[in-house]
This record gives sequence, C-alpha cells and structure tokens, in this order.
Amino acid sequence: MSDVLLNPGLVLIVGAAGLPLLRGRAQQLYLLALPLLALALLVRLSFGERGRLSLFGLELVTIRLDALSFVFALAFLIAAVLAVIYSWHLRDATQHVSAVIYAGAATAALLAGDLITLFVFWELTAVASAVLIWARRSQASYRAGLRYLLIQALSGVLLLGGAVLQHSVEGHIRFELMALDNPAGWFVLLAFGIKGAFPFLHNWLQDSYPEATPTGTVWLSVYTTKLAVYALARGFAGTELLVWVGVAMTLFPVFYAVIENDLRRVLSYSLNNQIGFMIAGVGVGTELAINGAAAHAFAHIIYKALLFMAMGAVLHRVGTIKASELGGLHKSMPWTARFCIVGSASISAVPLLSGFVTKSMILAAVAEDGRWVAFALLLIASAGVVDHSGIKIPFFSFFAHDSGLRCREAPAGMLLAMGLAAALCIGIGLYPQPLYDLLPYAVEYVPYTASHVITQAQLVLFAAAAFSFLYRRGLYPPEIRSVNLDADVVYRRALPYGWHTASRAVERLRLTAGPPLRRRAASTWVATTGPLRPNGRLGTAWSTHLMVWCIVLLLGALILLTVR
Amino acid sequence: MTAQLPALQVAIPLACAPLCVLFRVRFVPWLLFVVAAVGSLVCAALLAGRVASEGTVRYAMGDWRAPAGIEFVVSAFNTPVLLLVSLAATVTAGYARRSVAAEIEPRRRRLLYACLCLTLAGLLGLAVTGDVFNAFVFLEISSLATYTMIAMGQHRRALLAAFRYVVIGTVGAVFVLIGIGLAYAVTGTLNMADLAERLAEGHDNRALQAAVVFVFVGLAVKMAVFPLHAWLPGAYAEAPSVVSTFIAATGTKVAVYVFCRFAFTVFGAALVFGVLRIDRIGLALAALAMLVGSAAACFQQDLRYLLAWSSVAQIGYILAGVSLATASGVSAAYLHLINHAVTKAALFAAAGLLVMQLGSVRLSALAGLGRRMPWTFAAIVVAGLGLVGVPPTAGFVSKWALVTALVERGMWPVLVAMLASSLLALVYVGRIIEVVWFREPPASAELEPTQSPATPASMVAAIWFLVLLTVYFGIDPTFPGGLADAAASALLGSGGE
Amino acid sequence: MNRTPRPGWLDDPRNVTRIVYGLYAVCAALLVAELVIGRKAEFGIEAWFGFYAVLGFIAYCGIVYAAKALRRLVRRPETYYQDQDVRDE
Repeated sequence: MSDVLLNPGLVLIVGAAGLPLLRGRAQQLYLLALPLLALALLVRLSFGERGRLSLFGLELVTIRLDALSFVFALAFLIAAVLAVIYSWHLRDATQHVSAVIYAGAATAALLAGDLITLFVFWELTAVASAVLIWARRSQASYRAGLRYLLIQALSGVLLLGGAVLQHSVEGHIRFELMALDNPAGWFVLLAFGIKGAFPFLHNWLQDSYPEATPTGTVWLSVYTTKLAVYALARGFAGTELLVWVGVAMTLFPVFYAVIENDLRRVLSYSLNNQIGFMIAGVGVGTELAINGAAAHAFAHIIYKALLFMAMGAVLHRVGTIKASELGGLHKSMPWTARFCIVGSASISAVPLLSGFVTKSMILAAVAEDGRWVAFALLLIASAGVVDHSGIKIPFFSFFAHDSGLRCREAPAGMLLAMGLAAALCIGIGLYPQPLYDLLPYAVEYVPYTASHVITQAQLVLFAAAAFSFLYRRGLYPPEIRSVNLDADVVYRRALPYGWHTASRAVERLRLTAGPPLRRRAASTWVATTGPLRPNGRLGTAWSTHLMVWCIVLLLGALILLTVR
Repeated sequence: MTAQLPALQVAIPLACAPLCVLFRVRFVPWLLFVVAAVGSLVCAALLAGRVASEGTVRYAMGDWRAPAGIEFVVSAFNTPVLLLVSLAATVTAGYARRSVAAEIEPRRRRLLYACLCLTLAGLLGLAVTGDVFNAFVFLEISSLATYTMIAMGQHRRALLAAFRYVVIGTVGAVFVLIGIGLAYAVTGTLNMADLAERLAEGHDNRALQAAVVFVFVGLAVKMAVFPLHAWLPGAYAEAPSVVSTFIAATGTKVAVYVFCRFAFTVFGAALVFGVLRIDRIGLALAALAMLVGSAAACFQQDLRYLLAWSSVAQIGYILAGVSLATASGVSAAYLHLINHAVTKAALFAAAGLLVMQLGSVRLSALAGLGRRMPWTFAAIVVAGLGLVGVPPTAGFVSKWALVTALVERGMWPVLVAMLASSLLALVYVGRIIEVVWFREPPASAELEPTQSPATPASMVAAIWFLVLLTVYFGIDPTFPGGLADAAASALLGSGGE
Repeated sequence: MNRTPRPGWLDDPRNVTRIVYGLYAVCAALLVAELVIGRKAEFGIEAWFGFYAVLGFIAYCGIVYAAKALRRLVRRPETYYQDQDVRDE
C-alpha cells in the first residue's frame, strides 16, 4: 500500500500543491527540486510491479516499471527539468502548478499497469494541460483550450469505455497487448488515437498548442502525444493498421507546414509528422522497430522541446510568431538562433545529431520488414521534415529578409534550458550507445555506417539545395497571413454553420407552421387528458353502479379468460 | 406469556376498542390507542424475533387444534406486515392527538379512536390468521371500521366517499366470501394449511377455479387495483388526516399480503399462475394502473387527491412484482410495499399538517408557501422524490429491485410502463415543487401567518420520522430487504413453483 | 549583441550566394563520395546511383508545389474563425 507513494509522477502531482505557498526564489528552487527528486526516485526504483490497490474489486497496479516505461519516464522527467529551467523567469503560480501536475500525471500514466489507473492520469493530463492553454488569458486561447479539453476528455471517456468492455469480456483490466477482435480494443485504440493525433483526429494539436503560453507549449509538446505513443507501443505493437496510420501522419502535415504562417503551428504540424514516424515503428512491431520508436520518442522530446523553446523565446521577446512579421532576428538573438539551428538539424536527422541516430532505426526496421512502399513514403516525408522544421523555422524567424525587429536576447533561464537541450541533441548524436542501452530490447544497431551517413546526408542536403534553388528563384511560396483549413473546419465551421442554418430553418418553420400546430396540439391534449382531469370521465368520483359494473365485468372477464 | 403472543397481537387492540368508547375522559381514548399501537408493535417485534430464530409459530385459538379450530400462523411472510401495520399505528398514534383535536368535533373523538383500534385489530388479524373464514371476518372488521372513519371527514363529500366505499367494498367482501364458500364446498375445510394440502390435486375442478377468481376479484377491490380503484381517491382524500395517514400505509398493503397468502400458500402457485394464468392479467392490470394512476395524479388540483392517485399507480408496481410469481418479484413487491407505505404515510401526514394550518391543500392555495413552511415542504419533497424513485430514497431501492425482477422474466412492456409511470411521477412531484417554491403566493396569503396555529411538534416529529425512515431505507436497505427476501422465500417455499 | 545597426556578414548578398554555392559543392562532393565509397542498397531502384540525392531534391520540390496547390484550396483570411466566434457570442 505504502509503495503507491513511490511513484515519481505522484511526487510531482503532490509536490505541486506546495508551489502556491512559496514566493520568489524559494518557489523557483522548489520548482526545480521537484522534477529532480522525481528523477532520482525513478532512477533508484527497481523494475517490477508495485503500488497494488484494490478498488471495487478491481486490481489496480499503479506502478509498473520496465524497460519500455522507464525510457519514456526518463525522457519525461528530463524534459520536465529543462522546461522548469526554461520557465525560470515566469512568475505565474497557476502555470507552474498546472505544468508540474501535467508532467506528473503523464509520468504516472506511463507507469500505470492497468487501464483504470491509466484512465485517471490520462484525464488528469487533459485537465492540467488545458490550464496551460488558458493561461495565455486571451479569448482565442480560451476557446482553443475549451475545444482541446473537450476532445481530450472524449479520449478519456473512450478509454474508460474500453476498460469497462475489457473487464466485462475478459474479466481483467490489466493494460497489456490488446487485440482488435473485440470492441474493447477499438475503443482503447480510438482513445489513444485521439491523444496520438491520428489523421482526422489530429486537429486539437495544431489548434491548441499555438494558443498556449510561450512556456506552456514547451510542456505540451513533450507529454500528451508521447504518452499516446507509449500507450500504443504497449497496447498495439505490431498492429498492421498503425503502419499506414503512421505513414499518413508523416505525410499530410508536411504540406500544411509549408504554407502555415504561425511558426508554432508549423512546429505543431511537424510534431504530428514526427509522431507518425514513431507510430509507424510501433505498427511494424519488431524489436528493432519498438526500440526505434522509443529512442526516437526520447530524442524527439528533447529536440522538439528545444524548437518550441526557441520559438517561445521569440514570442516572449517579440510578441508575435508569424513568419510574415519576423526575419533577421539572428542579430538580436544570436544564441537562440544557434540553439534553434541545432534543434532543426536534429529533427532533420543530420548526421552527428540525435534525430539521425534514432529515426534511422525506425526506417531500418521498416526496410528490414520488407515494407518498401512504407519505406519510400517515409523517405519522402523525411524530405518534408527538412523543409518545415529544418529550414522554415530558423530561416524565417532568424534570417530571411530583415524585418527590422530588434529586441533583447532571451532570458538567461531560457538560454540555459535551450543550451542544455542542444547539448543533449549533440551528445546523443555523437554518442548514442547510452540511449541504446536503455531501450526495451537488446538489439545491435550501428547508425554510423558510411552508406547510411552518405545517403542521409544526400537526402538532407539535396533537399536544402532544392530550397535554396526554389527560394532564390522566387518559386517558394511566400509567407502570407492566413488561416488554412484543416480537419477542424468540421467542428469549428461546418458544424456551427450547420447548426445556425438548421436553427434558422427551425425558427422559420416554427413561425409558419407553429400556431396551427399548436392549436391542433392543444385541442388534442385537452381531448386526451380530459378523462384524467379531476372532473374527467376517469378522474371524477365514479358512481356506485359504475364501480359495481366494473367489478362484475372484471369477474366475468377473468372467468372467461382463465377458467377452463 | 410469550406463547400467547399471536393472540395478544390481535387481542390488545381489539380490547382497547370498546374501552375507548367507555371512557369519556378527554385524552384516555387517545392513550388507549397508543397502548394498542405500542402493544401490538411490541408483540410484532417479539414475534418477528421468534420467527427469525425458531421459524414458523403456530397458535391454536382456545386450544382448539386446527383444522377444526382457528389457527394463527406467524411466519416470515407475515412478520413484515405485522411490523409495518403496528409501526404505522404507533407513528399515527403520535401524530393523532393534535390532528384529531384540530379536525374532529369532541364528542366523536373517542369513536374515531375506537374505530382506529378496530381497524388495527382487523388488519393485524387479517395478517396473522391461518383460517380463511376468520380472514373474511377480520377483513370485515377492518373495512367496517374504515368506512366509519372515512365518513368522519371534515366535508360532506366524505360521506359520499364513504358510501361509495361501503358499496364497492361490501361487494368485494361478498366476492371473497363466495370464493371461500366455494373452496369450502370443494374441500370441506377452512384452515389455510389444510386447504393447501387438499388442493394440491384436482386443479381442473371448475368450482375451485371459480373460487380463485372470486377471491382475487374481491381482494382486488381492497387492493384498489385498476379498474377497481375508484373508491380510493375519494376515500383517502376526504378522510380525516389521521385516517388517511394510517390506511394509506396499511389498508391496501394488507390486502396485497392476503392476496399473496391466498395465491401462494392456499390455492398454490401451480393453480393460480400455472393453470389459471392470473399472472398475465395481473401484469396487464398492473401496467394499466401504473400509467393511469400516475397520469391522473398529474392533473389533480388537490394535494391529497394527487397523493391518492399516486397510490393507485404504486399499487400497480406492487401487483406487478407479485404477478411475476418469482422469488425476486415477490421480494421486490414486499420491499416496495414497505417502502411505499412509509413514504405515502409521510406524505399524507404532511398533507394533514397543511390542512390543519391552511384549511386547504388545493395546489393553488399552496402557491409560494415553500419559504414560509420550509420544513414541512422539505419533507414533502424528499418523500415525493421517494415516489419518483430518486436515489438515495427507499423508492429507488424497491423500484430497482422490481426492474431487476422484470428484466429477469423479460417483461419489457411492463418495464416500459413502469419507467413511463416514473417519469409521470417526476411530473407530479415536480408540479408540487414548482407550485410551492416558484409561484408567487396569492395576495390574501399575506394575512394568514398570524392566523395559522403553531406547528405541533408531535406531528412534525411523526412526519420527519417517516421521511428519515424512507431515506434510511434508501441508504441501507438491509433490514427491509432482509424481511422481503425472507417473506418471498417463505411464500414460494411452501407450494411455490 | 548586435544592437547597433552595423551591417552583419549575412547582410551582404554575395556572402549568401557563397553559402549557397558552398551547399551545392557539398552536394556534389556527396555524390562523388557515393561513387567512390559505394553504399548498401536493399531494394530495386534504391540501388540506382544518386537515388537519395534525387529523391531529396524531387520530393522537396514536389512537396512545395503540392503545398502551393493546397494553399489555393484551403487558404482563408486570418479572421475566418474569429468571425464565427464573434457570431457565436
């Protein structure tokens, strides 16, 4: 029972309660101590299951630590440390509390050994993270946060439904590899799919992340989707469907990223695309593929956080993050620009950086499995990554034409966090073995072969060459202030529009057909309820002869119907 | 002494009745009724304890052995009824003093108490007897006393209501008597256990089948099963408050018990539900009663008529449970019988308090009084939610049990009728709430507070005791549930399917 | 750091051109390296010389052109959803 408290996630969630009590420097130090404490606890915890609870006859396993959950939890907590440092300058207890609870809930969800525990923390991440969006305190972020929360809550409800179904069909709620031959599996898959931003379920991501606070988006980028990747790797490894879902996810955001103006939304599309690689790996399901997905998630958490940090720093200093307004900021924010380039190169999988050593595992696993079509499509998507994250993000914010904006360099905390993240990107890229040792399966994989370095470098650099060729000839689409329609048009535009139209039509119908119908209905109502009223045929005091008739008729009927 | 308990159960109230008339001192009749009620409650509790530990208790009247003599039988199937009736009488006794003082002119008060004692004796005797003819006698004792009490209502309408009840009630009683006579003609015995033994064979005897039909139609009048319910709204609504409180909790419920007793332990389920298929007709009438009763309640303008019509619907629920003839169905019926008795007694008692203070319980007269009499109306709302079946009231528990029993047998149409009736119940309870809290009080009401008498603590205590009991039974239904389960197994165990 | 409006190295278009040509040169060098060192290939056309180079270039251009076509379809004024939101209120 008491080992329930040995949960690193719980340390964060419970610890967050202390934050509002502290002020100033004490609060900052306490904030930093929380993820470090959780990290120390995680590292000291041995593999195995603990924290068993019995609830309404259900066996809960609140902590299940094995290689798969460990590597994700480690990444989550490292990212929490970085994000705390990044938000060092921030004096907003609401954001700090919700961010720490969010990180804790996500970590606790990783460690959940059963579907009910998973559900509880799954919903907690949704609620806590919605606060990070609302903390921007604008009308747009309020609405985006509401949409976000609704969709996330829907995911939780589906998960709960799946848990209940599994319990009724199979009699247990353990969270293990699930099959799609019963509805429970589909419910849970759909729940994971929403959090994992599957195509057509994805739009909450691009809708809400750009609306969060500069620091909030860094937190958001780390947890929700990677939790979904972990859950899919745990529950649906080797599901054929996921290969194609993953491939589709890598491809379609690429096009949107090219024409999107809000750079944090570009990063959101890019996030979606990167999740696609991981989900494709989960779908392949071989040991190498799962290793690849886990390693890529680890590397991705860091470089994606780095990119969001850089864009957050720009937003923090400049006040806007629209590509059409920015440009030439490398003069004002040289270090931010450098760290951003490291992040961009990492996500583009440039050799010697972290993306290279992890994404290649997924691609190798896909190729090894003989899936050539998927392999080719993933390569094309990789070229797309080079565009939106590798080039577009640093180029349009820090270079391109000089917008004339001048500002101060990012605050020291932000710079330190970005520096640490960049160092990790380079470190993993140069020396990947420690990360490989953490992976769930013992698989020999050598990223640095001549062949691999050459092909990847060709892919990246020729894509970059194509960019400079197109850009210098004016063929590259210019950055324009616009909104691009995506799947969210269904619930942000079509559904409200349909509702308005329908309610107008109903209103018209009510005005024309209403009065006669009402008269008719009123007369029918009076006619049918008349007998029931106190003076009606049924409700009035019956005369004695009527009552006696009743009893005689009932007697006669009973005798006729029953006696034989 | 304890050996005589079954006799004392009936003898105490029966003896108190004439004493009530003899003593002319102001409060003695009331005290006698208290003695009768408390005495019978003690007897019932002791008997229940004995039945729980030793099983069925048989008592031969005057030491004349059955089947020749009259036998009293106390078993798991009638202890809930004995407890319910005597508890209702005790609470009514607490409530009665101030209520009777307010409603009944002084020279009639002792007659009313005498009638209450007689009714109590009759109902208890009906519950405890093991002899069919004796059952008829007790039925008549309780009925005649009830007719008299109803006629003592404040308005002249009470006389009419009592007269109508006399006519239809007597016809019903005669039917029961005819049925008993036919059964006697076939078997030559009047003892229930003996009858059951001799009726185990010969189910195709027409006279016997007719006997069953006569007895059940006769009892249906007493149970107020639709369409033989017509006496009930007038009788309940026009009777003095004490009387409506007491008979709403007990009258129809004891009739239901007698119905069960005859169906399962005299004629036998094989004959009643197997050969004659009374269950189908019972379920059909139950569904009709639920719908018509609740629908009519929605349109009533007078709180007490509303409550009476709601009783018609609630009898439908109980009848549905009995007609299922399964252990879970009968158990649900018993549970609802107990819960509804407590709930409805609380409501009629509260209505009586309102009558005393306002002079009328027409809904229009209650408009906006929620804020002036918050406690009384809170009691009405809590008990009203019990009628609807909202958790955590007792009504929810027994309705849930009934739904389970219905689903078990796949009786979907009845289930639909029951849910529809519950929705209608929400409507009529909602109407009370709407009128009482959300309407503006009528202009004349401004003057009344000074005129209305102070609220008697004894009446409020009685009302809230019943209301809290419904909530308690809703939260922890083990006690009534245990009684109901034991009763169902006792009924079905002897001569069940 | 560069708070004074002093023109930086990158402000000179010739330097930018130099960077671009440097990029082209590295690309050429990679092709040469493929020719010299050789590489593994697992399936059909992947084995063709310069497959990854061509794929990188073509895929990139294809994505950009497809995105331009997509923009024509999905582009809306920036206030597109705001109008909706305002109408809701």
